[in-house]
Amino acid sequence: MGKRVAVCAVEQTGFFTNLWQKRFQEMAFDIVEPIIRKTGVTFDMATGIRNIITCSDDVFDARTISDNAMTDAVGAHYRGEEKVTMDGINAIGYGLACVLSGHDDIILIVGHCKESQSESRDMVTNLAFDPFYYRPLGLDFKNVAALQARAYMNKSGVTDEHLAKVVVNSRKNAALNPAANARELLTEEQVLKSPMTCDPIRLLHEYPVSDGAVAMLLVCEERASEFTDKPVWISGFANCMDSYFLGDKDLVGNFSLKKAAERAYRKAGVKNPAEEFDLVEVNDCFAYQTPMWLEGLGLCGEGKGSALIDGGGLKTCNVNKSGGMLAGNPLMIGGLARAAEAVIQLRGEAGDRQVEGAKKALAHGTTGAAGQFHSVLVLDSE
Amino acid sequence: MSHKRNRNVGIIGIGQTQYSSHREDVNQPEMINEAVRFALEDAGLTYDDIDCVVHGNMELFEMVHQPDLWHTIGTGAYGKDAYRVTTGGTTGATLVCAADNLVASGMYDIVLAVGFEKLQEGHTTGGITNMADPLWSRNLQTGALTGATAGAMIREFGEERARRAAMKLRIDMDKHAMLNPNSHRSFGLDYDQLDDLMENSPKLVGELRLIHMCSQSDGACAMIFASEEKAKELSDKPVWIRDHITIHREETFNLFGKEDAEREETTHRFAARKLFERNGIDNPVDYFDVFEMYDPSSWWGLDWLREFMLLEGDEHLKMVENDELKIGGRLPLNPSGGVVAANPIGATAMVRVAEAALQIRGDAGGHQIPSEVKHALASGFGGTLWTVLTMLEKDLDW
Amino acid sequence: MAEYFGTTVDDIFSTQTERFRPEGAEGVDAVIAYDISGAGGGRWMVAIGGGKSETKKLDSLPAEFTAKMITDAETFVGMTVGRIDGMEAFQAGRVRAEGDMAMLLRLPQMFTKYVPPKKPITARDIIETAVDRFQPQYAQELDVTVGYDFTGKGGGQWTAVIKDGKCTLEEGLRDNLTVSNIVSAEDYVDLMLGKLDPMVAFGSGRLKLVGDMELAMKLPKIFAKFVPSEEAEAVEELIVLKKIISVDMEYSTGPVMGQFFEGLMEKKILANVCPKCGRKQLPPREVCAPCRCRADEFVEVGPGGEITMIDDTYYASPDPLTGETRETPYGSLHVLLDGCKDNETFWHMLKKNDLFDAQPGDRVRPVWADERTGSVNDILYFEKVR
Repeated sequence: MGKRVAVCAVEQTGFFTNLWQKRFQEMAFDIVEPIIRKTGVTFDMATGIRNIITCSDDVFDARTISDNAMTDAVGAHYRGEEKVTMDGINAIGYGLACVLSGHDDIILIVGHCKESQSESRDMVTNLAFDPFYYRPLGLDFKNVAALQARAYMNKSGVTDEHLAKVVVNSRKNAALNPAANARELLTEEQVLKSPMTCDPIRLLHEYPVSDGAVAMLLVCEERASEFTDKPVWISGFANCMDSYFLGDKDLVGNFSLKKAAERAYRKAGVKNPAEEFDLVEVNDCFAYQTPMWLEGLGLCGEGKGSALIDGGGLKTCNVNKSGGMLAGNPLMIGGLARAAEAVIQLRGEAGDRQVEGAKKALAHGTTGAAGQFHSVLVLDSE
Repeated sequence: MSHKRNRNVGIIGIGQTQYSSHREDVNQPEMINEAVRFALEDAGLTYDDIDCVVHGNMELFEMVHQPDLWHTIGTGAYGKDAYRVTTGGTTGATLVCAADNLVASGMYDIVLAVGFEKLQEGHTTGGITNMADPLWSRNLQTGALTGATAGAMIREFGEERARRAAMKLRIDMDKHAMLNPNSHRSFGLDYDQLDDLMENSPKLVGELRLIHMCSQSDGACAMIFASEEKAKELSDKPVWIRDHITIHREETFNLFGKEDAEREETTHRFAARKLFERNGIDNPVDYFDVFEMYDPSSWWGLDWLREFMLLEGDEHLKMVENDELKIGGRLPLNPSGGVVAANPIGATAMVRVAEAALQIRGDAGGHQIPSEVKHALASGFGGTLWTVLTMLEKDLDW
Repeated sequence: MAEYFGTTVDDIFSTQTERFRPEGAEGVDAVIAYDISGAGGGRWMVAIGGGKSETKKLDSLPAEFTAKMITDAETFVGMTVGRIDGMEAFQAGRVRAEGDMAMLLRLPQMFTKYVPPKKPITARDIIETAVDRFQPQYAQELDVTVGYDFTGKGGGQWTAVIKDGKCTLEEGLRDNLTVSNIVSAEDYVDLMLGKLDPMVAFGSGRLKLVGDMELAMKLPKIFAKFVPSEEAEAVEELIVLKKIISVDMEYSTGPVMGQFFEGLMEKKILANVCPKCGRKQLPPREVCAPCRCRADEFVEVGPGGEITMIDDTYYASPDPLTGETRETPYGSLHVLLDGCKDNETFWHMLKKNDLFDAQPGDRVRPVWADERTGSVNDILYFEKVR
């Protein structure tokens, strides 16, 4: 990439199982306000923010054109606003395009989701399937994940015990992250005894129902210093779509993740992913996904997920210092929250969980059943 | 003078389905695939040539969460980068903005954008009503229907003149729709029906009558965008995107005060003024050779003409009355028939850009403007008076 | 009686009462008038009430009706049998409605769908399709006349004239026919539907062929196979999946909207005020959009005020919160409550009786619900102060 784009500010609400006391408009304004305050950015048509990229979903919000409700709260009155309706990490990808195109100098990104508002998020994800075949069969993102989990465990040798270790590690990290939702420490035994909700997925293998919002300010290279002295640079972004029908794809092949990673690494000049990243944030909605996505990202060898866990690699590779998706972010902004943690770490503002000297980070997001769609973002502090 | 851009972007492929009230013969991805195939054929490309797919519609109209996942089988996004952007009625225009940005950024050389809606699969007015705040206005709103504009125009220009102009524009648009085989509604209206329609077309809200209002349609539109280098290599007549602007506003509270209340500039006028300023366009009516406007009703179409073209007083009424908006007139408006002729919402605003581009190419068929079209403007409308404007050029000479 | 799409207006109304579904018409007390012009048209009224329905053909329409439909016979039959899109006919002005539109939209719940009676196929039905079934590629350079002499019940005589690659059909038999088919009407139908074997019929003398036998043998090629229209339609019928999707929701009100709703429970209308521009927001929102700042202070306004705009709605849309079709016409209004200025208006419903009486500038006051729960419905509507 020739020119560069910087993340100059990041804010998150903190994540909760039921943020009942706030409308999502207020959740969003709670994080837009400090971005304005800390960076001094304005909404001036010539020199300030004139385009805002939001991320939300009509079905979760139960509102046609969900961004209509957000215009006030994200400062878009008499400014542009465009909604990216997929995992919010793709709003960063699109924001990158808006700045690199020359169309905008500054982009404000605001993603929100309140999973608690609907009766069941599984009912929402059931609606992601075609109405004729998969929907009546009762598929949702959880039970399809269970199919993938079983297939992956058979292939990689990852066991129920390994998954317990993944969850315990997530909680250890989350305990040091004030923004995380599920912060109570767990023992492996507790995880192993938690009820099976969708074999082989146990209750504690699932990310908790979560509400929250994340905002970021992207700025072109020439103007980044106006807003921060700690810019974090976007050095590569790519995503990739896999087939829709489960029978059309290799459930354990990580096809779209490998493609997305390969393209993002090429743009960022990453040659040896297993060595180069100081920290990695993967979007693990279910415990089996932590090792599986790490394999797909090329951070451990193919089929080496169990060995990585056994060898303490989650810790040494600084995987999900935020606690990861397993510690609770809402579906629409899981990847955006991963990116937020990576930015916070690269800015050196991660407090007790700070990775010392972190310079290069990877953030990952995924959407759809069994990882149909993956997004990969590479960030650098220099 | 011009808005800065990293590199130029050309439209090299356009595909539209027939627009219709019902398409039970195809499901959603199949309908999308029709438009995608037409666009690929038009560009002389195959799926392998596409780097990235941008998808958009309003998920609650068909009640599908993240429909781009299922629709992959129709868009051909398998193995490719993909984005999904939605902004209500402006979605189709936002898809064009997104594709333009993605190509101009240098991230992708060739991008396919697809907008669609199968409105028959849900309840459209109910769906639009659901955009209102569930706690407050959802039980007050009737979809996108309001008589406010008709009321305001009648107060400003007198009942007879305002109603006559709105109906004249409606018939003008139907005359255009009759020339467009893709249009969903072409009634064959004639000017001798004007008085009858003014009195007898059923009322929806106030003076907004059924005949004035857009339909709900099924249909899809796909467009292919390429970098300047690729566009010149792959296309004989690429149409260049010069600039685009998006302006939204808060929800429709704090509106409709007393007559003497100070009115803020409309989003349409604000967007047009900013866009024209930064591109050095002093007289838009003379500059543009065609304007494809998102006209959800003839009243809005009439009122917004004044805003988009930065007109004053009754200049816009005179343009209708003097036949200046018809094909062959001074500024042909919606040669395609416009939104009152076909409205597959997630595609509608993209169809405006697609039709404007076809006019520049000279490929609009029966509704082609007879004189050369070099400069075109397309508008999108959605949400609470949101607007998107896209400027297209025949030559890279601005 | 003029027939359209295989049935008549009279046929449709003659089955109206037996198609009544009392369970779809609970609580309905209505008279629907129909004014149907054109050949085969007429005036009818359908009364619905007390779990019963009655249909009458009239000379003139009743003065009192709940809703009236005005259309022509062809459009009416076409819409009833699903061959004409009702909404498009309505938009094109071929159907007009007066009175309560919502009641017309409820009719499909109150009456089962009309299915045209199945009539046995006649020899006439079949022979009249001869021109459509004609395949010119098998009749090049032919200049012939083919006679059809159908005897017995349902019989009749026709001549098919084939010349210059074209086929026309005339009633009656021409002189000097090239070939003539003589068969009973009943046997002809069976032959054409494939129920009677042609060789058997010919061999047994039930089918007589007189004249050019070579041409007679070619006839099954020159005229394509007859397919009854029902079968033709059955092939085109598409399967459509109907589904009502609902996911229960729990919307937070938050402190700002929450305080507003608490006010409504005490019959108070609270606006919040922007600390920068001083604008009052009704209903209150967390943020002042133009100033991009929080609006924390609340003031009580109204409850009375002045109308600034009225929308009178005739379109019968469903209430998204209940799914029930709203009774039309109804009015919504914007009110400048006492204490508000400029565009600080409040949006709500107008009392039904005031719809055609109230004007911008009139004073209105809220009518409160007896039991208030902290919702938009705590105010029933605004009424004109007289």
